[in-house]
Amino acid sequence: MKPFEYYAPETLEAAVEIMARYEEGVYPVAGGTDLIPKMRYGQIQPKVVVNLKRIPGLAEIVPQDDGSLKIGALATLTQVASSPKVRERYLMVAQIAGKMASVPVRNLATVGGNLCNAAPSADLAPPLIALDAEAVIFGPQGERRVPLEAFFTGPGQTVLGRGELLTAVVVPPPDPQARGTYIKHAHREALDIAIVGVAAWVRFEEGGSVCEDAHIVLGAVAPTPIRAREAEAAIRGAPLTEERIAEAGRLAAEAARPIDDVRGSAWYRREMVAVLTRRALFSVTISQ
Amino acid sequence: MTQFSYIGKRIPKPDAWAKATGQVVYGHDLKVPRMLYGKILRSPLPHARILHIDTSRAERLPGVKAVITAKDFPPRRFGFAKDRTPLKGDKVRRVGDEVAAVAAVDEDTAEEALELIHVEYEPLPPVFDPEEALKPDAPLIHEERESNLFRHQEYVHGDPDRGLDEADVVVEDYYELGYMQPTPLETCFCLAAFDPSGRLTVWSTTQIPFLLQRDLAEALGIPGSHIRIIQTAIGGGFGRGLDMYSFEPICVWLAKKAGQPVRLAFTRQEEFIAAECRQPMRIWARSGAMKDGRLWVRDVKILLDNGAYVSWGTVTTLVFMETVGSLYRVPHARVISDSVYTNNPITGAVRGFGNPQSTFVVETQMDRLAEAIGMDPLEFRLRNVNRPFEETPQGIKITSCGLKECLEEAARRIGWERRKKKEASGTKRRGIGIAATMNVGGGARIYRSDGCGAIVKVDDFGQITVMTGATEIGQGSDVIVAQIVAEVLGVQPDKIVIVNNDTALTPWDVGVHASRTTFIAGKSALFAAQEVKRQILETAEELLEVSAADLELRDGYVVVRGSPDRRVPFDKVVRARHFREGGQVIVGHGWYDPPNEMVGADGKGNISAAYGFGAQAIEVEVDIETGKVKPLWVVSAHDVGRAINPMYVEGQIEGGVVMGLGYALLEELQVREGRVRNPTLLDYRLLTALDAPKIESVIVETDDPEGPFGAKGVGEMGTNPTAAAVANAIYDAIGVRITSLPITPEKVLRALKEQRSGEQ
Repeated sequence: MKPFEYYAPETLEAAVEIMARYEEGVYPVAGGTDLIPKMRYGQIQPKVVVNLKRIPGLAEIVPQDDGSLKIGALATLTQVASSPKVRERYLMVAQIAGKMASVPVRNLATVGGNLCNAAPSADLAPPLIALDAEAVIFGPQGERRVPLEAFFTGPGQTVLGRGELLTAVVVPPPDPQARGTYIKHAHREALDIAIVGVAAWVRFEEGGSVCEDAHIVLGAVAPTPIRAREAEAAIRGAPLTEERIAEAGRLAAEAARPIDDVRGSAWYRREMVAVLTRRALFSVTISQ
Repeated sequence: MTQFSYIGKRIPKPDAWAKATGQVVYGHDLKVPRMLYGKILRSPLPHARILHIDTSRAERLPGVKAVITAKDFPPRRFGFAKDRTPLKGDKVRRVGDEVAAVAAVDEDTAEEALELIHVEYEPLPPVFDPEEALKPDAPLIHEERESNLFRHQEYVHGDPDRGLDEADVVVEDYYELGYMQPTPLETCFCLAAFDPSGRLTVWSTTQIPFLLQRDLAEALGIPGSHIRIIQTAIGGGFGRGLDMYSFEPICVWLAKKAGQPVRLAFTRQEEFIAAECRQPMRIWARSGAMKDGRLWVRDVKILLDNGAYVSWGTVTTLVFMETVGSLYRVPHARVISDSVYTNNPITGAVRGFGNPQSTFVVETQMDRLAEAIGMDPLEFRLRNVNRPFEETPQGIKITSCGLKECLEEAARRIGWERRKKKEASGTKRRGIGIAATMNVGGGARIYRSDGCGAIVKVDDFGQITVMTGATEIGQGSDVIVAQIVAEVLGVQPDKIVIVNNDTALTPWDVGVHASRTTFIAGKSALFAAQEVKRQILETAEELLEVSAADLELRDGYVVVRGSPDRRVPFDKVVRARHFREGGQVIVGHGWYDPPNEMVGADGKGNISAAYGFGAQAIEVEVDIETGKVKPLWVVSAHDVGRAINPMYVEGQIEGGVVMGLGYALLEELQVREGRVRNPTLLDYRLLTALDAPKIESVIVETDDPEGPFGAKGVGEMGTNPTAAAVANAIYDAIGVRITSLPITPEKVLRALKEQRSGEQ
């Protein structure tokens, strides 16, 4: 590991001011579960590391007045997994947070780290995008919000500009008519990265089985997590029949742009998008 | 039945608590005064000429104490085929080849120094495919050789061609088996220090302390008598430590040049790139049987990829031949093997040592034959099992043999009859498979001695100390040796101190491999203990004025049989023997070299003094939409002669099964064009506790006539049959046969799609 400058500011403003001083080579750190191994393996060599953990409030999970939930960027995966506020409103988010990596890693790793690292396979992204979450960004120009779907711009790339930090994600109020699920397909039961991840969120018409709205989000099959909009359209406005679900699976597979890598081939990933999309949609239909 | 005091008892590992709570000092934890940190500069190219190495900038970096290249070494070669030098001077033959090394005051400085070394390479055409490597125009990897073929071997018994003609059914398959890493938790480690008189001490994770002593002497021109190997607590081996690697002489030479102790430890990435792995093999196999259920013939051709250099791992072909030639009675067999140099990673010894590969082939074809003649695969196996005290056409002299009992027990416990009535639910299909194994269990003579020595002494406090050549790598050999000595001397095993880690103290041993330690180190300790018992009784006779025939050893006392009040404690016996004119110490020594033989050029010979047998029955669940295979339940039954400590036998079986499941389903070092694509524990997947199924270990005891208290080895056996049993279970579940490992979801899904398109 090479020497680097280290800061531990106590306010968001101070952190942003430090971050903004550098055009490149500056990295915020929270849990450090991505950053430190990358530094150790020489994959990145930061000039400056800014520790965010002394900034108060960033790890809080707070219900907002409009019924939405603000999940601080520094909330750990363990916090998210065990928080009743998350569990009651967005079970699929809590469930996957409790299954990622391993217990020691979950105790350190943060929501912000998982999202800002911007791996196409990041497990929190598909369910949060499916829930229409927004990213709260703080920077030299103050606060701005972008839909989480638009937050990712490529592998390891986000919309964060110079000096900007992700401070929270805000998830809209839970819809009593909606059901969601996220399926992670990986080689191992733990300590693994998704070969494919699919989140499905469906709002049913009151008392019926007609799908009023659907969000289908695919992870690990494109440079960023993506919505499968044709698949969503194919099931909107009608009951979720087996045929429609199969069609949605086929369209989702078409929307995927997977690559071959050490975890699986593009062919296999595309096949799995169809299977997991079907399974996710069946699952929300059954739990309806 | 003989009543034992300590043999057969479940004595927990005394270091278990310390290991679980992080109190054990491993090599990586060691620090000695003035210690420097060594790092190796490795080749980024698979095959290239080294034109020039400039180390001047690295040498000038503050904190750097030594920089070495091939020029610094005496011109000596090492390795199984003497085909390499520690640092490469003329050319590199694989990605990761050692080119230069530095020692510095800390790791960061050493790493920075590596970046300052400039190496000019001229790339040479590489060859990665072993079949390509055999072509006449292939790039020559070792220019002093005529071709890239390292060794061609042929083994034949009976008349395989006639056998193939005669057989009522013949099945034929092509297999491709990949790389597997031994992956011990502790990566390779070495700490080298010269004392002021020029003697060398090396702290090491090796599995072969005495051969390392010899190999270092040979590679460096230091007299072996000046080299002392101390084994630290070792965080796993699995075969990884069976060869001296380049980093060990490099570490010593850095220490010599710097005039300070040097520590060299692999990063996990280095471990994946530079530690030796299981041989990939391409295998063309045919097996034939008669309709009445007699196994008739096997005919196998193997192409083994050694990688850039040859290690002891190339001997895996011998083990391969054994399973083909002698697991079950088979009148005709042939194995033709070519082991080949390529510009791929070096392959070596990994638990099972060729046996997981051969058992995969043999035991999947047993299922295929059974199907072809319309017989239950268990029944077909039982008709052909090896029997006790028979010699196979290969010259393997089977003594105790519980293969039949193992097969029956594994099948019974898993509920073999359930195979007939299958329930399909949703997208999940279940299946049950079985596979057997035969493994050396009484040593394996691959070196001119297969022996081990032991010294037992009793001091004048009555303390018993055993010095054994046996290496403890977590398997529990120290307690096994203690239990054997305890049984002879009548003391609690935990009262015995074991010294097993220092070549300056312990007698010679060939190394911890071939599942040999209980059998061989156990027997040598038994001999040493018997000698000590004789000496104790000799002096006690005088003290108690009772003939030795009427004395027994119990709880640290010599006791007159039938009169428990008439007794004398060991310490008093020892002092009585020491403190007198013409006094003597109580020390016994034992040496045991088993009655086995080197395998001849024809592949025949009784390589081991006993053979272990086992059978695994495995139930799996296959998801027909994703191709994912989930092992649900493994029953693993093993004939171990006698279990000295059933808890450790179960530990070996369970660990073996988990490793076997890794080979079957998950573990694959992905090598493309000589480069490891997944050198991390994230993408090289060992099973986690959540992935491991229920494992039921069954111990079958057959009381081996040669082994200590009837024991045979078990260390590797659990790994051998797993992949075959899994593949057979998958076939039972979905009717698809996968002949390459690991059986990934993707392979299963493709095979299912081909099956469906074939049906249409």
